[in-house]
Amino acid sequence: MIMFKTSRGRRLMADILTYIVLFTMTIFCLGPIVWMFLTSLKNEADIVTSQMQYIPRSITFQNYRAIWTQSNFPVLITNSFVVTAITVAICVATGTLAAYAFSRLSFRGRDRLMLSYLLVRMFPAVMVIIPLFVMMRTVGLVDSRFGLALAYTSFLLPLFVWMLKGFFDAAPKELESAARVDGSTRLGAMGRIILPLARNGLVASSVFIAIAAWNEFIFALMLTTGQGSRTWPVGLQLMVGEFQLPWGVLAAGGILSILPVVVLFAIVQRTMVQGLTAGAVKG
Amino acid sequence: MKSVLHRGPVAKLGDLSETRYWVYLLLFPSLILLLLVVAYPTLYGFVISVREMRLTRPALNGWVGARHYIAMMSDRVFWISLKNTAIWVTAAIAIEVTLGFIAAVALNRNVPGTKLFGVLILLPYFLPNVVAGHMWALLLDPRLGVINDLLVRIGVLSTYKAWFADPATALAATILVEAWHGFPFFALLFLAGLKGIPEDLYKAAAVDGAGPVRQFRLITVPMLRTVITAAVILRVISLVNSPDLLLVLTGGGPGNATQVLSLYAFQTAYREFNFGYAGALSVVMFVILMVFASLYIRFTQVTKE
Repeated sequence: MIMFKTSRGRRLMADILTYIVLFTMTIFCLGPIVWMFLTSLKNEADIVTSQMQYIPRSITFQNYRAIWTQSNFPVLITNSFVVTAITVAICVATGTLAAYAFSRLSFRGRDRLMLSYLLVRMFPAVMVIIPLFVMMRTVGLVDSRFGLALAYTSFLLPLFVWMLKGFFDAAPKELESAARVDGSTRLGAMGRIILPLARNGLVASSVFIAIAAWNEFIFALMLTTGQGSRTWPVGLQLMVGEFQLPWGVLAAGGILSILPVVVLFAIVQRTMVQGLTAGAVKG
Repeated sequence: MKSVLHRGPVAKLGDLSETRYWVYLLLFPSLILLLLVVAYPTLYGFVISVREMRLTRPALNGWVGARHYIAMMSDRVFWISLKNTAIWVTAAIAIEVTLGFIAAVALNRNVPGTKLFGVLILLPYFLPNVVAGHMWALLLDPRLGVINDLLVRIGVLSTYKAWFADPATALAATILVEAWHGFPFFALLFLAGLKGIPEDLYKAAAVDGAGPVRQFRLITVPMLRTVITAAVILRVISLVNSPDLLLVLTGGGPGNATQVLSLYAFQTAYREFNFGYAGALSVVMFVILMVFASLYIRFTQVTKE
């Protein structure tokens, strides 16, 4: 007990406690994912066995082959890629301009408009989905990849604008002023100075909404009715219901579909985390 | 370098950027888009809620006034959903705030390896609900769930339990899954908040003889208050709004043990094609959330920097 009374002893105890907490949380967070991965490598017989196998006795890639060749998974993945790409393109094209305006220009009603961009996030998804479905049906955009991407911008564009505005705010204003003094137009300063400065932020914000679009389920379930635009979360969910998908195959599908998310997250997580937290902390 | 042809439009746009119209030009595209996919559907949603609209019976189409809202008052499932929503959101957020806070404090101590731990702990937040749902359905499966196996081995359970099929445990089990999925969000924001507290404050407090507990109570908690408020309200909104996880895990069952408002509204539209009633349900949700929105603005004052 004497050890705890010295400050070095106390620090050592705190460090040990910190590691215990971090290890426990990591197991809690990763355990389920690891278990799904192990399941995806097992034969179905080893999954439904009465004797739980913690380490797979034999490893097989049969489940991955099954989901890829015996279902329409490749079509679903392609649809998801297309929808995600269109969503990101729309958000980058329109959102970058708005984020720049909010960050660098002062105009009447700026604060109120920014607030309304934030308020959009309060709208229940269900409340927007039902009218959107009726609208899209009228203009023939139900079961279209473009229509779905358009629906995604309803909640992703405001998010993108707010996140990117934070990155623009963080870019030093002096360089821009210097360029303006040298005779550059506002457009020139934006294209040559601000955008390159906030490049990482632009990538991180894009990746964030790309992940959200890739993962989205409720809008996709309502707005896609057939093969033409169905995304993987919907397809996977329907496969479970219709075909009593074996656990191994389902696990393989899950692993394949989170692969792009994990890779993107690993690459840009630092900048993305910065962008996500900036707004909340500043407020 | 620049050809005359290429310079033309760009230079013109450059000139335009010096005028006062520039800002409107920048805002126009996103504004139009949001009016089209958010503002108009929202207004239209109010209209739908006072109409009869069933895709399966187009003949019934017409104005019904407050009939859906009146029907809701005597709808047993609505009240159950409202109660479950309150329980689900409150319990999930309480667990998520606690876990998130512990994680943030641990990560803020910057022991070697913190960066890696940070990335791994954040990962669940970025995973899709559909995969998270099935992953936990597998872990808690009544026949081959590994959690059942572990609990039996250490003697907590005598036999495997059907967590999602038993009305007594279904809601708790879905809250566990939601906590797993959502607590990294709080860890993320709390960590950023902790990093924003100047180290000097703690040093000064230590000089004045304040121990760790008093430092926590007098410095950490007050300094984090805005972050906590903002994070909690943002999370309330997204939890009330998203039926995804429950749709995948239980579909609202068994009985209505895990039925929540968002899921009820979605199923009313998706399964029964009763758009009018579903619209009314979501308007009620919207009103409930607006109360939170006003709280959010009052507490955090986001636009005032």
